Amino acid sequence: MKFTWFHLMPYRWLPADFRERYHSVWVDLPNRLYDPERGHDLYNEYLDMLEYADQMGFDAIGVNEHHQNAYGMMPSPNLMAAALARRASNAMLMVLGNSIALYNPPVRVAEEFAMLDVISGGRLIAGFPVGTSMDINYCYGQNPATVRDKYREAHDLIIKAWREREPFAWNGKYTKLRYVNLWPQPIQKPHPPIWIPGLGSIETWDFCIEHGYNYSYLSFSGYKRAQKMLDGYWEHMARRGVEQNPYSAAFFQQVCVSETDAECEREWWPHVDYFFNKCLHLYPGTSEAPGYRTEASLRAGVVAQVGNTTGNMGMNKSWKELVDQRYIIAGSPATVRQQLEELARSLRTGHLALGLHIGSAPIELVNRATRLCATEVLPKLRPMFSEYEDRWWPRPLPAERRVQPGSANAASAARTAGNGHEARA
Amino acid sequence: MPVETQSATQSVNGASVRSRLLPLGAGRPTIEVLEAGEGAPLVFLHGVGGVPAWTGVLPLLARDYRVYAPLLPGFGQSTGLDLIEDQLDLFFHGFDVLEALGLERPYVVGESMGGWLAAEMAALRPKEIGRLALLAPVGLWRDEAPVADMFGCMTHEMVPYLFHDQSSLPAQQMLALTSLFSEKDDRSEAQIETLIAMVRGLRTAAKFLFPIPENGLERRLSRIKAPTLIVWGAEDRFAAPLYGDIFAAKIPGAKLVKVRHSGHLLALERPEEAAAAVLRFGEGRL
Repeated sequence: MKFTWFHLMPYRWLPADFRERYHSVWVDLPNRLYDPERGHDLYNEYLDMLEYADQMGFDAIGVNEHHQNAYGMMPSPNLMAAALARRASNAMLMVLGNSIALYNPPVRVAEEFAMLDVISGGRLIAGFPVGTSMDINYCYGQNPATVRDKYREAHDLIIKAWREREPFAWNGKYTKLRYVNLWPQPIQKPHPPIWIPGLGSIETWDFCIEHGYNYSYLSFSGYKRAQKMLDGYWEHMARRGVEQNPYSAAFFQQVCVSETDAECEREWWPHVDYFFNKCLHLYPGTSEAPGYRTEASLRAGVVAQVGNTTGNMGMNKSWKELVDQRYIIAGSPATVRQQLEELARSLRTGHLALGLHIGSAPIELVNRATRLCATEVLPKLRPMFSEYEDRWWPRPLPAERRVQPGSANAASAARTAGNGHEARA
Repeated sequence: MPVETQSATQSVNGASVRSRLLPLGAGRPTIEVLEAGEGAPLVFLHGVGGVPAWTGVLPLLARDYRVYAPLLPGFGQSTGLDLIEDQLDLFFHGFDVLEALGLERPYVVGESMGGWLAAEMAALRPKEIGRLALLAPVGLWRDEAPVADMFGCMTHEMVPYLFHDQSSLPAQQMLALTSLFSEKDDRSEAQIETLIAMVRGLRTAAKFLFPIPENGLERRLSRIKAPTLIVWGAEDRFAAPLYGDIFAAKIPGAKLVKVRHSGHLLALERPEEAAAAVLRFGEGRL
């Protein structure tokens, strides 16, 4: 198994009466609540957490894209990944991802992902989410009736831009370019592995199967409620005669680790409460624009209540309810290890993205959890699914061919010191 | 040649209302048309709510006119939204409907979204619209009076924007839709179908009007040649009455009537006053 340390980067300073005074954490939450100086602290603290995860041996560190909200402060995940590319030298960089229909022209995504792949020596995982309706429709004005069509066209253009070695013309419905000619090209050939976050529509499963992409189920309601969805995914693969390789799927799980179960509740509850009851405080009127979901998905969602409806997002639940119902996996390293193993066996996902920061959690708590997880939890789980080949993982340059950030300066200084006249050259 | 494929007639409020499916030809939508009344043709272009019932202004207009209410794809039994890619396609679709109905220079009445469509059609082919009545059309924008966001709220929250008198029957009927948005999984089959039908209609509106219902109509208004009536609710909180003034000022020779004690949905909240204005204007008496 492989483990990604995934950060949502919430704003930590929402007022205590936030839910009473504001109808949503997203879209139209006034930005007077945002203090840039505190933001300065938070970005740097959060990046430190991700760098620490790299030092502790996590397989990847992950970021994603959201707009106009206090839930996740990464309108540009590529900026975060660029900062990490120079400071975290071993872990893969999972950008999950860029909402590709938002960028005009979409070759911007191809360019920036290629830059990240080149800077990092081929460590990029390229995520292509459609994006939440809040992000893409209400914040970025994309038309809900046509945005999925635009997404597919953007996907086709980006892939072609990565593959082609000669300039080509692109006459699309949404993008028209006389010359597409990507500089730079990604290191990974033909392109970095592509992961598609989804919420369980069959169209998305088929899209992943047909293109050989990883299907990532990002949920805050935990692995018990994800069972039906992942079962459906594996059954669908079986029906289509595709190998049910665990590495073709990923799952996101919030995890809290302390020395003991009792300490875990005491230490983490305020931050878990902050996440479920502030960061997920959403106004239904702007949670889904008309046409964002296909009618079939809407019908399935309305009838079966599959997926992340407000009803099962975990608000107004106690610690015990959240833990018992596995919205979060929380406790001592032994408890967390046992439940993560159960998760992996029941969902059969070879990739786990762990949310080891949650809500308002400070770095002392988070880094300790990261260390406990890396040293006492993950080693026991890594051998799972080793009989399968992971074809959804980056293929970076070998370590000896990857440049260490700062090494060029060091080498230059060394040459200068050793040979005085080079300083004038 | 369009062929009528299906027809049903029902009696509503003493008037006989016919529903039929009208195919517009290969590669084009098939639409449902509601019809009632006898007399000269009057085409009614509906708003974002569609025509869920033959109520409000419709039966009143059908006393003097043969009223045709074509439904846009996504509303009622009309299908083929994917065949209308953009606004220009939509305007041509409007003319396809007139042609399929065999109507020349009809009296076109549009409310809200339908009023926008009617105005765009009249500006695009000024000689093909005989007479125009716009009931609180959308299509313009002023930063100081933003049109309310019909796509960013729950249906029942629109009621204060759409009605002056929130205790009126149509306002109460819309408020009753609140039950569709329960967080519990306890909706009936009929409620689910109502909910999905509403979202389907909103999707059509969104395709052409999301996120801001303005795309340059104002500079085209001077092209309109049809005699034009603008009707606006004096208490419209969805699209402020100042938009009525702009429409009236920019459409050559347009008449403006403001209806007291009415919100945005004039045709439902003040049907007598709205119909009287449309009928009198139709006789050239306004």
